[in-house]
Amino acid sequence: MVRIALALLTFAFGLAAAGAGSAASPRFNYILHCQGCHLADGGATPGKIPPLIGTGRFLAVEGGREFLVRVPGVSLSIVPDDELAELINWMLFRFSADDVPADFEPYTAEEVGRYRQEPLVEVETVRVGLIGPYDETPE
Amino acid sequence: MDSTNWMDRRFETGARYLARLTSRRSFLTRLGTLLVGAASIPLLPMSRAAAQAADAGFREPDIDGDAGDPMNCNYWRYCSIDGFMSPCCGGSASSCPPGTEMSAVTWIGTCQNPADGNDYLISYNDCCGKSPCGQCFCNNNEDDMPVYVTGRSNNINWCLAHSTTAYHSTVALVLGRADG
Repeated sequence: MVRIALALLTFAFGLAAAGAGSAASPRFNYILHCQGCHLADGGATPGKIPPLIGTGRFLAVEGGREFLVRVPGVSLSIVPDDELAELINWMLFRFSADDVPADFEPYTAEEVGRYRQEPLVEVETVRVGLIGPYDETPE
Repeated sequence: MDSTNWMDRRFETGARYLARLTSRRSFLTRLGTLLVGAASIPLLPMSRAAAQAADAGFREPDIDGDAGDPMNCNYWRYCSIDGFMSPCCGGSASSCPPGTEMSAVTWIGTCQNPADGNDYLISYNDCCGKSPCGQCFCNNNEDDMPVYVTGRSNNINWCLAHSTTAYHSTVALVLGRADG
């Protein structure tokens, strides 16, 4: 069932059919599309994979909201806009709830679709410019 | 006084019996073995990555009818594996062979269990740290993506983010129901 659903979603994405009803839960999408690298707890693999823990801090700085969508793992993923918006919102509270500002407005499919048109290449440079270097030791 | 004599007799008999059976040298040999043996236990090789995984509390969920032969490429969990099946290399479908470490970073897909008809999320962790196993190569590609969709491709050496990047074999961990 899920395999068929995924095939259909991929097809739908190919047609840029945004706004279709969500078929997969954020948790499922996280495990299938993110967890392989970002691990079950969102922890870092030092020197190789950045942590998801603490990503809520980006929301407090100018350009940070766009950054979280433009990073390659997000913008170039095969998750359609609506599910991607839902997934990012879910991840922020799952891994960085304490850092999410009180006035946080959840991402929308339209917004995510817009930001992901410009994937980041110089991720490290932009990240350091936004929140500075971070401690890579797993928390 | 009788009781002291009784105890004396018991201990004397016991000491003589022990003396007949053993020598001072044998005692020293055994003591030495114990001391050296105990001291060398921390030096034995062990998989620290696996120890961490155990610390993190990972445990495969109970699956009704996890049927099939884990040494056969058609085993249901292997629907998207690309590598040497760990059970042929001294490990199991969910554990790495001795002397290798399971990569934490991996690729994840879904497979349908024919026994209960449900889809499960499967994590294809590579076992790292030794040269390729060379036994039971298996390459199934359900939902596999080209390597330029890196995170969704089984063609990657997933030991790449491990402390040792040598690829040896692959396991197939069941993470849970795909619709759960």
